Amino acid sequence: MPLKIEKTFEVGQPIEKVWAFLSDPRKVATCVPGAQITEQVDEKTYKGAIKVKVGPSVTDYTGEVQIVRLDPQNHEIEILGKGQDVRGRGSASMKMTGKLGALPDSGTEVKSESEINVVGILAQMGSRVIAEVSNIMFGEFTKNLQARLQQPSEVPAGQADSAEVKPIKATSVAWEAAKGVFRKKP
Amino acid sequence: MAKKQLVRVKVNGRDRQAEVEPRLLLIHFIREVLELTGSHIGCDTSHCGACTVLLNGKTVKSCTMFAVQADGGEILTVEGLIKDGQLHPLQEGFKEEHGLQCGFCTPGMLMSSYALLHNNPKPSEEDIRWGISGNLCRCTGYQNIVRAVQFAADKIAQGGAK
Amino acid sequence: MIHKTSPEMGGMGHSVKRKEDLRFIQGKGNYVDDVRLPGMVYGQMVRSPYAHARLKSVNTEKAKKLSGVLAVITGEDLAKANLAWMPTLSYDKQMVLATGKVLFQSQEVAFVVAEDRYTAADAAELVEVEYEELPVLVDPKKAMDPDAPLLREDREQKDNHIFHWEVGDRQATEQVFQKAAVKASVNAFFPRCHPAPLETCGCVADFNRATGKLTVYMTSQAPHAHRTVFALVGGIPEQNIRVVSPDIGGGFGNKVPVYPGYVCAIVASLTLGVPVKWIETRSENLQSTGFARDYHMTAEIAADREGKMQALRVKTLADHGAFNAAAQPTKFPAGLFSICTGSYEYPTAFCEVDGVYTNKAPGGIAYRCSFRVTEAAYLIERVVDVLALELKMDPAELRRKNFIPESKFPYKSSLGWTYDSGNYEAAMKVALDKIGYAQLRKEQEEKRKKGDLMGIGISSFTEIVGAGPAHTFDILGIKMFDSCEIRIHPTGKAIARMGTKSQGQGHETTYAQIVAQELGIPAADVVIEEGDTDTAPYGLGTYASRSTPTSGAATAVAARKIRDKAKKIAAYLLECSENDLEWEPGKFFVKGAPSKAKTIQEIAFAAYTNIPPGLEAGLEAVDYYDPPNLTFPFGTYVCVVDIDKGTGEVKVRRFVAVDDCGNIINPMIVEGQIHGGLTEGLAIAFMQQIDYDESGNVQGGSFMDYLLPTAVETPHWETDKTCTPSPHHPFGAKGVGESPNVGSPAAFVNAVVDALSHLGVRHIDMPITPWKVWNVLKEKGVTS
Repeated sequence: MPLKIEKTFEVGQPIEKVWAFLSDPRKVATCVPGAQITEQVDEKTYKGAIKVKVGPSVTDYTGEVQIVRLDPQNHEIEILGKGQDVRGRGSASMKMTGKLGALPDSGTEVKSESEINVVGILAQMGSRVIAEVSNIMFGEFTKNLQARLQQPSEVPAGQADSAEVKPIKATSVAWEAAKGVFRKKP
Repeated sequence: MAKKQLVRVKVNGRDRQAEVEPRLLLIHFIREVLELTGSHIGCDTSHCGACTVLLNGKTVKSCTMFAVQADGGEILTVEGLIKDGQLHPLQEGFKEEHGLQCGFCTPGMLMSSYALLHNNPKPSEEDIRWGISGNLCRCTGYQNIVRAVQFAADKIAQGGAK
Repeated sequence: MIHKTSPEMGGMGHSVKRKEDLRFIQGKGNYVDDVRLPGMVYGQMVRSPYAHARLKSVNTEKAKKLSGVLAVITGEDLAKANLAWMPTLSYDKQMVLATGKVLFQSQEVAFVVAEDRYTAADAAELVEVEYEELPVLVDPKKAMDPDAPLLREDREQKDNHIFHWEVGDRQATEQVFQKAAVKASVNAFFPRCHPAPLETCGCVADFNRATGKLTVYMTSQAPHAHRTVFALVGGIPEQNIRVVSPDIGGGFGNKVPVYPGYVCAIVASLTLGVPVKWIETRSENLQSTGFARDYHMTAEIAADREGKMQALRVKTLADHGAFNAAAQPTKFPAGLFSICTGSYEYPTAFCEVDGVYTNKAPGGIAYRCSFRVTEAAYLIERVVDVLALELKMDPAELRRKNFIPESKFPYKSSLGWTYDSGNYEAAMKVALDKIGYAQLRKEQEEKRKKGDLMGIGISSFTEIVGAGPAHTFDILGIKMFDSCEIRIHPTGKAIARMGTKSQGQGHETTYAQIVAQELGIPAADVVIEEGDTDTAPYGLGTYASRSTPTSGAATAVAARKIRDKAKKIAAYLLECSENDLEWEPGKFFVKGAPSKAKTIQEIAFAAYTNIPPGLEAGLEAVDYYDPPNLTFPFGTYVCVVDIDKGTGEVKVRRFVAVDDCGNIINPMIVEGQIHGGLTEGLAIAFMQQIDYDESGNVQGGSFMDYLLPTAVETPHWETDKTCTPSPHHPFGAKGVGESPNVGSPAAFVNAVVDALSHLGVRHIDMPITPWKVWNVLKEKGVTS
């Protein structure tokens, strides 16, 4: 079932710099743990891959990322990502909208809303594991984003950290999931 | 495949050892390497307790441990309850009080009850229900299992074997 | 006439301690996973993550290359031998390994065979499958929509409809409803749940190339039927197949169907010539083996203002999953659901059921349901309570007013069943007295004034078991008789074998008690064997509470055949005519001269050493019993609950179960069955559901989400009985194993609704979780 996740975070960089980065899927991919863009199909469509490792369990999704809507005036972006596990373990799709807002201290606020749908073995664990995996991945993403934006040099497009995928620690997912039981759930 | 490791344990009073993969679960070690098939596998999420054995005096769900983690330890399984051909009062109790039907949960129930009575020789009904709450049963509805444990507690108190 | 026997003899009515216990309490049971054969290898399934998808390719190269892997079988491989599909017990067919498409999450796609289970698991991970997702259908109400995805492309009929079945008089019932003064109705959903016996399903298939014999150790509730199915489907000569059902760790209907894992293990063993073991995990068990229920039901009662019921109308939508693999008698696609008239007189009634396919695991008949009687009993007991609310009548009083009176039995219901015997009033009286009904109603009144929530739920159910007479009952064409073969040894001990198969019901003890009763051989001297198709006489197995009504009857009849021969031998030994002899358990004696007697042991010895001229040696008999009718156990259950206003948690304060199963063989064992069944009913009512999200992902695919009650949640059960023997059964017994699961869900739900009825609540669907109750309380303004 679709899992809705809302995340808001701040980046200490000016809004145009953040916008330039976030509206380029190839640059975004460099921040998502285990992700890479492999090919640009057309203006709006890219082929990509992401490896999600939870403890000993590995899922390799390949699929497409499509920019559904790009609004540079309002700094809004909507993307749709769909992927299937290469070994036949399942599939996942994500619809995400991102909106940037300038902050008084010349930083940027990034607001994102995602709807994630997972089919397959992972989905049987229910929202608890998916939500926690998403949280952990998001945490990594924002850290990486901050770091990349602060770097003066350009990172070669398309490359990612997939060579050295840091597997999400199963213990941290379990701990987060357990903590999640006591947090307020929708 | 990772290099095999030597595991040495004392099981039901006997020294046993074997070379095993580090990922071999303790329940598989007990059932397939030691060939003690009394302990059973009933789930894959550590809920059912059919695999319950005693390791160094404490109950463990042997499906959630690796054999290598038990190295150097002492294991007691259901096969070790009988002494010189005499049934343990718990085993007697399960028979007298109809505390089993299909028998699949019984070894785990016996081991959990064994540990319970060691720590609490005079358990109330509530104590017993909590004590076996880590062991699932589909057949009995637990009522006669409680009676079986009470039977054993009474018998031990009167001077039966521990 | 049932003679009384001594406790040492152990005949009918004695709580003989169980013989089978001795091995179980020592951990010396022999369950399928305990079977270890030389050279044995292990099989593991690769399963689909998708609920509905085209199967584009199955790549087994990497898996095959892994050291220790002996074979990887795919649907394509099986198709070459015409084995990719197999017949189900409902005359549908089911994929063994998928070809073309997959139809439910966790469906079997490939089978890996390796030297040990860990290597098999590694290899399963290396199998690469390419799928193309298709739209998913999980709502049975949408299955017949014009734009619903077509699931079963293999059928001629190109829609998702499996069957329509109806019984009763539609017109006459309609007419009564049109004129009815009072009408009550309920939409009651019986959720999909799963029996989850503690031992999962599995087998060891052992094909011996040297002898040509295939032995299958298998978790089977019906070994003979399975053997015949393997012979027909696999083309293996039936005399070369031996099915051995050893100790079974609980069945509850889960071990009646034939699963792809069995077929794959057999194929692997035939191909490799070594024993192949396949044991499924708990997740596989919950996600792919025979589920139970999933009935969307509507019931309406028409009555007069005084509460006399006039008509019953029932309509049901049955969700069968991707294949119709429900195990029920051929003529009854909805099982015995038409018992939904329950314990009441309806001059006219009409019932219709439509079955549909969805992208879910196949099954439907399981979990102690007596072939859909659980669904029927739940429905009628719920709608009767709704009628009581409508009439502002006490639910016990309404039931009493409409019970079929004892004088009317055998009673033919308007949906075609002839109930053998019943005395519903008596059972209800015992139950209400025991629980202190009048006092509880007073307490409820007081509590309501204070705003506290307390409810009393009644369920006066009628069961229908013991399938069944050959003229109406068969499974895959095999008539539903059952059997017993008894042989007495020279020293007066005996061995008896039956066509049924215990999974914890205590047959090794109870059947021996029947022999003790009929022949006076102490139960301790009688060995009982079941489950080996090479030695046991043919039978249809144990499920639907049929063992006592069928094989139990066969045991008595076979014993009486032996008694007839024993009488001839006694007359010969005593040098008198048979007419001069009288029987009491254990001996024949001359009328008027009791010291002139021969014990059964002396007679047995003579059968081998001093045989009367003209008689064959030996003392044995076999009987294949064709029951003249089903049997109809019944009872009244009463449940008292208290509801926590803050959390919505329902606490069962008391539960009284009064059961009537006719004459009882072993009261201790009957009580144990009731305890177990009530606990399953509790689980179903409050905490169990296997659900699917819109993408077809299973929710409830492991014990994390599919809950079983522990000793802490399970309340104390109070049991009692009445005794209304079956007039047609050789010793008046009816069978009882499933009664508690049939009767209890309504008692629990009726109690919860009763606790909230003053707030206007008429019905809450199961599982009644605290969350559901809390939401109702919030809606009614009771809690914030």
